[in-house]
Amino acid sequence: SEYGGGTAGRLKALDAFLLYVLLTGALQFGYCLGVGTFPFNSFLSGFISAVGSFILGVCLRIQINPQNKGEFQGISPERAFADFLFANTILHLVVINFVG
Amino acid sequence: YLSTGPRLRLQSALGFLLLLAGAQALVPSHRLTARDLARLRAVLERPFTDVRAAYYSIVGLSSLGVRLADEKAACKFIKSNVDSSSVESLFYAAQSIQALSGCEVTISNVTRELLLAAVSEDSSVTQIFHAVGALSGFGLPLASQEALSALTACLSKEESVLATIQALETASYLSQQADLSSIVEEIEDLVARLDDLGGVYLQFEEGIETTALFVAAAYKLSDHVGTEPAIKEDQVIQLMNAIFSKKNFETLSEAFSVARAAGSLSQNRFHLPVVIVPDGAAAVSHHQPVLRLQVTNVMSQLLTQVSVKLDQAKSVSTKATVLQQLPFTLSGDFFELNFMNVKPASGYYDFSISVDGDKRFIANKVELKVKVSTEVGITNVDLSTVDKDQSIAPKTTRVAYPAKAKGSFTADSHQNFALSFQLIDVNSGAELIPHQTFVRLHNQKTGQEVVFVAEPDSKNVYKFELDTSERKTEFDSASGTYTLYLIIGDATLENPILWNVADVVITFPEEDAPSTVQSKNLFVPKPEIQHLFREPEKRPPTVVSNTFTALVLSPLLLLLILWIKIGANISNFSFAPSTIVFHMGHAAMLGLMYVYWTQLNMFQTLKYLAILGGITFLAGNRMLAQKAVKR
Repeated sequence: SEYGGGTAGRLKALDAFLLYVLLTGALQFGYCLGVGTFPFNSFLSGFISAVGSFILGVCLRIQINPQNKGEFQGISPERAFADFLFANTILHLVVINFVG
Repeated sequence: YLSTGPRLRLQSALGFLLLLAGAQALVPSHRLTARDLARLRAVLERPFTDVRAAYYSIVGLSSLGVRLADEKAACKFIKSNVDSSSVESLFYAAQSIQALSGCEVTISNVTRELLLAAVSEDSSVTQIFHAVGALSGFGLPLASQEALSALTACLSKEESVLATIQALETASYLSQQADLSSIVEEIEDLVARLDDLGGVYLQFEEGIETTALFVAAAYKLSDHVGTEPAIKEDQVIQLMNAIFSKKNFETLSEAFSVARAAGSLSQNRFHLPVVIVPDGAAAVSHHQPVLRLQVTNVMSQLLTQVSVKLDQAKSVSTKATVLQQLPFTLSGDFFELNFMNVKPASGYYDFSISVDGDKRFIANKVELKVKVSTEVGITNVDLSTVDKDQSIAPKTTRVAYPAKAKGSFTADSHQNFALSFQLIDVNSGAELIPHQTFVRLHNQKTGQEVVFVAEPDSKNVYKFELDTSERKTEFDSASGTYTLYLIIGDATLENPILWNVADVVITFPEEDAPSTVQSKNLFVPKPEIQHLFREPEKRPPTVVSNTFTALVLSPLLLLLILWIKIGANISNFSFAPSTIVFHMGHAAMLGLMYVYWTQLNMFQTLKYLAILGGITFLAGNRMLAQKAVKR
């Protein structure tokens, strides 16, 4: 209830996204454990995409949270979002390279 | 560290050895055999195509001492084909006419003036050579001193080997009253320019034709001037080896040069190389006790007015001198010596032979390796079975060659089989130790054969013993009846022996016997190798992977539901151009990712990404700035 009230809508949307990424990654991992590692590079690529996206999402959330404004003086939310997009671009470039 | 006494002795020993090595004269390895001569003549006797070809043929053949078949026709040909305006053509004509008998030609004044004019310091050495040669060939007067000074002047301008050789020959046409010593010195310079190939051949890098022309010109000039050419004996032999190593004459000029060299080396005033040729292989035996030699010059012409002497004959194995200072006797074309008179033991002998008769001879001391062959006899052949425990006395059977022993012998775990024999020279009775003394055992059933070497003991009695327990690996433990052969052979034996002596029954201990004896045939096809291709990895069934794909997309559904619940919307979407561009660019980048996955490679993608990324960044920058301002 504290979460529902105290958190901005923007952050809640981002949290939902993070949950989605988490579930996707967990499902990929479960499949690999259950069915087998072929093709291993595809699994790694997908899993790293999930993990990487989650981490970048968490970074974005930390940076745009108004409660952390004191620690990120020079970085506006827009700047944080731009960084998030840029990092994601690079991550997914590598992921697509590796998925095969 | 050696003290002075032993050191001095060592130095003098080394010096002596070097002297000995130098004293070993070089032996000619090549000459013009009768077959080579025939080939050379065939090339030179081809019909003439022009005056130059006529010159090569006529002068070449006359150097070999061969007269042309139809001299009148040759003379007519030259007279009709000579070009009176060319000094070169006149040279060929003049020299050819000189070699033919009864060929006369009159030279007009114009031609004479042309030739004399060519002898000047402005011409090349070749032109002077041709002009002087033509004047001399036609018998026209020539001012030798002026010609010599023109020649010397031109020669100092041209350094080539061929020019120097032509200068040598030119000088041989000039009068002896002119001082030709400066040209004669060129012979020594040319010799220094020869390449030594392995100590056997000496030739110019320009080739054998040039080398042969040099030899001909050098001796022609030396004969003319009367001084010995500055060519050492060994060098003459090396030149001879190089020139006569050429057996195929592709061009007429090559054949001409070799013919002239052959002519010079067989007839000059200073150096005559001599070749000693044994009749067939240099081997003697009781059937053929006489060693026959022929002595020829480089053109394989027999020299019979010489004396051939054997300086000494030494055995190669014992180094003992068997004969000394014995002359060969001339019988027909051959020089003969009956070597078997001294009853030499069989083997190889080094003969030092010298040929005398003319001070000009070179290479007249040679070393010849002569083989003395004989026949071998086998005596005292004893076959026995020896009991291992030494409890029973050995049973010995004597066999005489070439009979076979009656009955068979056994060799098994209690008994060894033994063979002993002696080898003697049938003619002299001396004991022989040939190179090959083998005992061959041949399994009659399986075709296996095993070969052993019989060794002589200190009394030169050959012994062979077969112990089944020691030798079972060679036999593969295959028991059975084996035929025993004795094989005796050597290079100096005229009657090598393969003798079926006896049959031997060999029994090996049972536990080692192989079930079947396969003949180790290496040349049958081997079993085929099946290649195992890399099996593809096991994949899960399509149903499973399709199910999983659907499953993985389900969180997306959950996300959309959550977002709706949270109330995320796009109501704040402003249709500013930068916003639109940003979103389009971002979408394009995502599309590029898909295209990258399906089609592109990294480089292309980076290229497109750079473009799209740049646009998106600029647009996004503006959009976010506007957003920030609004905030």
